[in-house]
Amino acid sequence: MKKYLLKRVLYMALTLFLVATITFFLMKLMPGTPYSNQEKMTPQQIKIMNQQYGLDKPIWLQYVIYIFGMLHGDLGTSFQFSNQPVSYLISSRIGASAQLGVQAMIFGVVLGIIVGSVAAIYRNTWVDTTATVLSIIGKSVPNFVLAVLLQYYISLKLGWFPIADWGGFSYTVLPTIALGVGPLAETARFIRTGMVDVLNSDYIELARAKGLNKFGIIYHHALRNSLIPLVTLIGPYTVALMTGSMVIENIFSIPGIGEQYVKSIQTNDYPTIMGVTMLFCFGLVLIILFTDIIYGIIDPRIRLTGNED
Amino acid sequence: MKLKKFATAGAVMAVSALTLAACGSKSSSNDSKQVLNWDETAELPSMDLSKATDVVSFDQLNNTMEGLYRLGKDSKVEPGLAKKTHVSDDGLTYTFDLRKSNWSNGDKLTAKDFVYSWQRTVDPKTGSQYAYLFDGVKNANDIMDGKKKTSELGIKADGDYKLTVTLDKKIPYFKLLMGFPVFFPQNEKVVKDAGSKYGTASKYMVYNGPFKLTKWTGSNLSWTATKNNKYWDKKNVKLDAINFKVNKSNSTSYNLYKTDKLDGTPLSSEQAKQLKNDKEFLTRSAASTFYFQYNQTQKRFQNKKIRQALSMAINRKQLTNKVLGDGSTVSKGLVSKGLAKNDGKDFADQAYVKEGVEYNKAEAKKLWQEGLKEVGETKMDINLLSDDTDKAKDSTEFVQSQIESTLGDSVNVHVQNVPFKTRLTRSEQGDFDLVISAWGADFADPISFLDLFTSDNSQNDGEWKNADYDKLIQASKTTDAGNTDKRWDDLVQAEKILVQEQGIAPLYQQSTAWMVKSKVKGIIYNSSGASYNFKNTYIKE
Repeated sequence: MKKYLLKRVLYMALTLFLVATITFFLMKLMPGTPYSNQEKMTPQQIKIMNQQYGLDKPIWLQYVIYIFGMLHGDLGTSFQFSNQPVSYLISSRIGASAQLGVQAMIFGVVLGIIVGSVAAIYRNTWVDTTATVLSIIGKSVPNFVLAVLLQYYISLKLGWFPIADWGGFSYTVLPTIALGVGPLAETARFIRTGMVDVLNSDYIELARAKGLNKFGIIYHHALRNSLIPLVTLIGPYTVALMTGSMVIENIFSIPGIGEQYVKSIQTNDYPTIMGVTMLFCFGLVLIILFTDIIYGIIDPRIRLTGNED
Repeated sequence: MKLKKFATAGAVMAVSALTLAACGSKSSSNDSKQVLNWDETAELPSMDLSKATDVVSFDQLNNTMEGLYRLGKDSKVEPGLAKKTHVSDDGLTYTFDLRKSNWSNGDKLTAKDFVYSWQRTVDPKTGSQYAYLFDGVKNANDIMDGKKKTSELGIKADGDYKLTVTLDKKIPYFKLLMGFPVFFPQNEKVVKDAGSKYGTASKYMVYNGPFKLTKWTGSNLSWTATKNNKYWDKKNVKLDAINFKVNKSNSTSYNLYKTDKLDGTPLSSEQAKQLKNDKEFLTRSAASTFYFQYNQTQKRFQNKKIRQALSMAINRKQLTNKVLGDGSTVSKGLVSKGLAKNDGKDFADQAYVKEGVEYNKAEAKKLWQEGLKEVGETKMDINLLSDDTDKAKDSTEFVQSQIESTLGDSVNVHVQNVPFKTRLTRSEQGDFDLVISAWGADFADPISFLDLFTSDNSQNDGEWKNADYDKLIQASKTTDAGNTDKRWDDLVQAEKILVQEQGIAPLYQQSTAWMVKSKVKGIIYNSSGASYNFKNTYIKE
């Protein structure tokens, strides 16, 4: 196990390094400068600024300097937010995105499991049809449409929750729902399919024959087995949600990281692009590792290391 | 019995709670605090006036800081820290008597704060993107190029309250510039103490303007400007606080507006079309013009008739009303309307050349055919370069259909919508046939626009060249710089040539539609430079 983990961590480091390298050079291929007032500056002024920020150096040297800084925990200073260290920009805004992401995931997965299970148990009845139709709607309606509708009807018309802004739990309810409906629909579909298969299998028949009660069978046997494909899905979904959804953050005026990322790319804010990309990448490789470990726990057939059999 | 008692007690408590709540809300409205709730469309990236580059920063700086002058309605120069100004006969030396005033931390504000601030901005080490506005202040360009020391900049403090500025050349709009935040003072001690954190959060700042910022952490979406009790003219500041909230979605900010959480909100085109008859609806036009540049390094676009035909093929009124729908207006020329006036006459009206911006289908067709013959072609493929925002896409699509439908089969327009920075880079490199460019003025003088199209200007991407135009612009800066009327005429003539010759084809002047509560009075909005001045704003209940 230890050896396996060590190997995986090395792979992670290699992945991160490759992503950093590729992103760095791709980013430098984008036309334009990181200066927001570029259109009004003369080429001479831009030259002076480039000298100031070390952008006149050969790209390979800029790369070496960046990687060196990154290894020492220095992600550089943002261009767009002058003087602001990228590490501060990220740390001050990742919290909101992460909270929303986790909440949306919990909301989506828990409700999705319930809906999916109910649909599977009552398969081919109106309950199943309703759940399936709702899942398809949930999957196909873009979350920003839902967000705008929720904001209009729930906040503006009924006044149950704040329209926008970021303060306490009540501010997170509607964005959580808007973000969580996607995973909910997806989870419900996965669970239903998985469970229908499982419920038809011989060992469930056996369990029934042994006289186990219905919910015992569902909980102990059917659900556990249906969860396996879901684990694959949840990992990347969580990272995507935690690193922010630009549209939902914009609609509910949430100080998250999503928009920061998109805007940094549009404005050639090199250090911010790198910082957020690395964060996203780090989250992803970490989650993939966790997923693999969790696999081993929920499904004894999957072994992390091949030599234990 | 017990239950009844409980119910009675509960009812009493509920009633008293309601009463208390009612009292609470009553007393708070009786306080009648003057508070404005205002929408911002983006974060505040920096309060370092040497480094700020965006509209939000300049607006915040304009309301929390003050320079020698403050710009009032229609960019009128109003008193700031300069109590008295003396200009030398040759127009090259300005001597200012400063009024006694303080920074918000109680420090005395002196002429040295101006000297420090200006030197800091032009110092190449600071990396200011607006330092070019100092062009004309003695030695500024050499300092920016690293050829001279910052101490050689043409600004000197003579004691605490006398400031002398020396210029290399006359700057007719010098006083207007002094109302732009880049020229405001900075407190050296505070800047140095904060070090690299200066301007990154409200706690690292001091202010000398009508308001001071609180609750701004550098990247958050709401902050407050409270009245600055150390401000020299605080008796004329009526608002106790302005709550700024960043909302990037117009539907969100409009919902907040409807529930009285905001007193002003910008609108999307769709919202504007629906709300344009509302009594709280208004449009704020920016000193920002969108125009065609023709790549005149290509032989075909050196032909004036070709340029004219393309311009005349476009129904600009339909573009602004139907496609944009946000209050944008058809341009009369390059210089935006409402930017500058002389003797009460607007520059845009005076320099108006009708045929340069009109829609004339028949004439366009005729000129196109003649032009084709002159350049020896029968058909043209034209790449139209523009931004990739929704608005830009809608505009280019419209322009494409207009040109193709008006000029017929002999033209094919290929639209290329690219990200902003790509558009800029390709424009600079001359990698376009036709590009929709935009320019916003930094200060309320026509030269802010007209400087662009002199032969050697780096922003003249189409490389249009006209000797008469160059001469007139040159005269406005030299021989006629001291004579307001002559200089004005030079600039009017120059713009007429530019549009007549179709060096560029002006399309529209950008506007933003707003809803502002009718109880909000006294907001000053200027189309150029720092837009908002809330100094005299108040709420009339």
